[in-house]
Amino acid sequence: MFYWLRCSNSPDSTVDRPQRDMPKPGDRSGGAGGPDGGWGWVLVAAMFISTSLVFGLMRSLGIFFVEFVHVFDESAQAISWISSIGLAAQQFFSPLGAALCNAYNTRLVVMVGGLLSGLGLILASQATCLVHLYLTMGVISGFGWALVFTPMVATVMANFTRWRALALGLGFSSIGLSSFAFNPLFQLLVETYAWRGALLILGALSLNIVACGALIRPECQPKARAKEDSGSGSPSRSNVLQRAASHLELPLLCERPYLTYTLAVTLFNFGYFVPYFHLVAHSRQAGFSEYQAAFVMSAAGATDILGRVASGWFSDLGHFRLVHLLTLWTVSAGAFIMLLPVSSLSGSYAALVAISLLYGFGSGALTSLVFAVVPMIMGVERVMGGLGLLQLIESSAGLLGTPLSGWLRDVTGNYVASFLVAGSFLLLGSLTLATLPHYCSCTDPPPPPPPQRRSSQGSHQDPFPPTRTTERRDGRRGEVQAAGRQREF
Amino acid sequence: MKLLWALAALLLSSWRADATTGPTIITEPTEVSNQTSSILSCNLTDSSLPIKGSYWTHNGKHIEESESDASSPYTIYRLDKITYHSGGLYECVFKTEPPVKETIEVKTLPHVGAYKHSEHGNEMDKGVLTCVAHGHPLPTDWVWFKEEDGTHKGIFNGTGDRYEIKSTPNKTILSINDLSIEKDIGNYICTGTNELGASSDKIYLRVRSRLAALWPFLGIVAEVIILVTIIFIYEKRRKPDEVIDDDDSGSAPLKSNSTTNHKDKNVRQRNSN
Repeated sequence: MFYWLRCSNSPDSTVDRPQRDMPKPGDRSGGAGGPDGGWGWVLVAAMFISTSLVFGLMRSLGIFFVEFVHVFDESAQAISWISSIGLAAQQFFSPLGAALCNAYNTRLVVMVGGLLSGLGLILASQATCLVHLYLTMGVISGFGWALVFTPMVATVMANFTRWRALALGLGFSSIGLSSFAFNPLFQLLVETYAWRGALLILGALSLNIVACGALIRPECQPKARAKEDSGSGSPSRSNVLQRAASHLELPLLCERPYLTYTLAVTLFNFGYFVPYFHLVAHSRQAGFSEYQAAFVMSAAGATDILGRVASGWFSDLGHFRLVHLLTLWTVSAGAFIMLLPVSSLSGSYAALVAISLLYGFGSGALTSLVFAVVPMIMGVERVMGGLGLLQLIESSAGLLGTPLSGWLRDVTGNYVASFLVAGSFLLLGSLTLATLPHYCSCTDPPPPPPPQRRSSQGSHQDPFPPTRTTERRDGRRGEVQAAGRQREF
Repeated sequence: MKLLWALAALLLSSWRADATTGPTIITEPTEVSNQTSSILSCNLTDSSLPIKGSYWTHNGKHIEESESDASSPYTIYRLDKITYHSGGLYECVFKTEPPVKETIEVKTLPHVGAYKHSEHGNEMDKGVLTCVAHGHPLPTDWVWFKEEDGTHKGIFNGTGDRYEIKSTPNKTILSINDLSIEKDIGNYICTGTNELGASSDKIYLRVRSRLAALWPFLGIVAEVIILVTIIFIYEKRRKPDEVIDDDDSGSAPLKSNSTTNHKDKNVRQRNSN
């Protein structure tokens, strides 16, 4: 009776049991890439909560920084390093988190990640100097967040095929919503319990990620292809290195589609964060009041949330290829970023708000698609390692992009150049996307097969299996078949 | 002889210059002290210079409504209600070449207010209470009291080693080191005194216990543990159901009851890690 809660990923579940009278929802895809529904939505809820506790928390730490400046007598810049270290650790350790999931149990890794992120905050509540905060809130919590984010996203991706982008959009919408909710909540906590008590309580809240991780049932985990349990028993160094490399999915770096896509996303990251940091200051400089500037930012945030969900839903309707939609949203986001200074310099507040709303929608829309396209490039089974590497590489752009825009502002005296450059980076990234193989075709090509299939694992080497037309939809999710067959072994 | 004439001419011109550069303004009243309303007036005498108009300033800031183009040497400014906002230095300025002005000082009682009427402090940490003053003239003397059993106990820099008072004319800060819940909770009164009188305000200090946050923390940890337990128990209990329900499932149970491979059903069974 609880069949619908099952996360059965058997690829032959429909083919071999046609006599089953109650078809499971989401069986259309044959479960190879993900059964779409049932427990999958529970995982989306888990991703919602864990992502909000990772990024929503990270974004709202500013409330504590005011207290830290007071208590530790340090400059605001030294304090802001805390969240920079946290973010950098989260992105830097992403491949490691992905590799650990490939090697071991995703559920275990996410639970440990939740424990670490909670532990970091709990230890931070006892800090006596700034370096303690760097180590606890920065490194330990950052490492914990790395073990949570990538695996959760990969798990959700592995559990959906038809509604993948919508699931991701719903999951990511938590970031915007929780930033809204956490700011007043943290303020209240700091007032009632002082910053130490508030950090302690936040640490406990972060432990809820452990519960989210517990929801990842073993059968729902993204299964990379079974790694070799090498016949040669002794773990020699080259063996270990080879295993590590395959867990990290390093061979992906040699594949042109993946490299192209990573380059495109890196270019996106150069420009993506610029408005978040500079829009308020730019609005103030253009002559609008504090409240007007803050409202512009909130409006952009609201349409961001809307954009994530809407674009996820729309792209899953299947009218267009995900890559084409992604290009559309990145081009529009880039164009609107470039229009932002124009609208504010013209002195019209309405124009600024309108362009910001459109920009917010575009940037939210592209966020959910950026991740949804990943399995198309490399196949669902390598998505874990691929995501990890992608996060690592794109983090460099995030770290460089904002100082670059700040420098441009210092040199030119206003934000026009920063916004123009940011928008052009997004447009450049869209152009790079267009160089992906099979970009112009109307249907998705199957992903390239992973290298080095071990012959002992079976004879299914064919990456282009015959189409199971009963469940396929115009071959749009054709690549999932290839991944599915390979996952059998 | 010529020298005498030159000297006389010099004296005459300087006398004439004196006459033209020495207009006097008579102010009425010269000073306003502790009154509820007043009319400030300036009368420009001994001046033959053309007067293009006049205006008043308050503490250096030009008062728009007092701007006048009348060439009268007499100008007034009404203060209908004198509060601590209206105290300060008022100047009447006549637009002549060069402009001439005179100052009237308006003194009021100081207005003392606390930054926050309810302050929080942490046990064994430092607590800071701040009062600011507005008005003219600013208080010259600040005193802090603690309300204890209905009486006001004075706090000075020497009272115990935990108290520290830093005062400037417009602000006073009382710092209490090593806060304790029994001794330091309560009302604190700051009083500022100037030549006209004194004014005070009250601040309530709350001391948070170090362990106050521990209870919510333990509560949330307990909730997480319960949730995780429920999730695992539910999953374990589901497994026997599932195996009975349909035994050809492709899912990999954690603890497999049926270790057979179901090869006859042509179903792949995934290895669980």
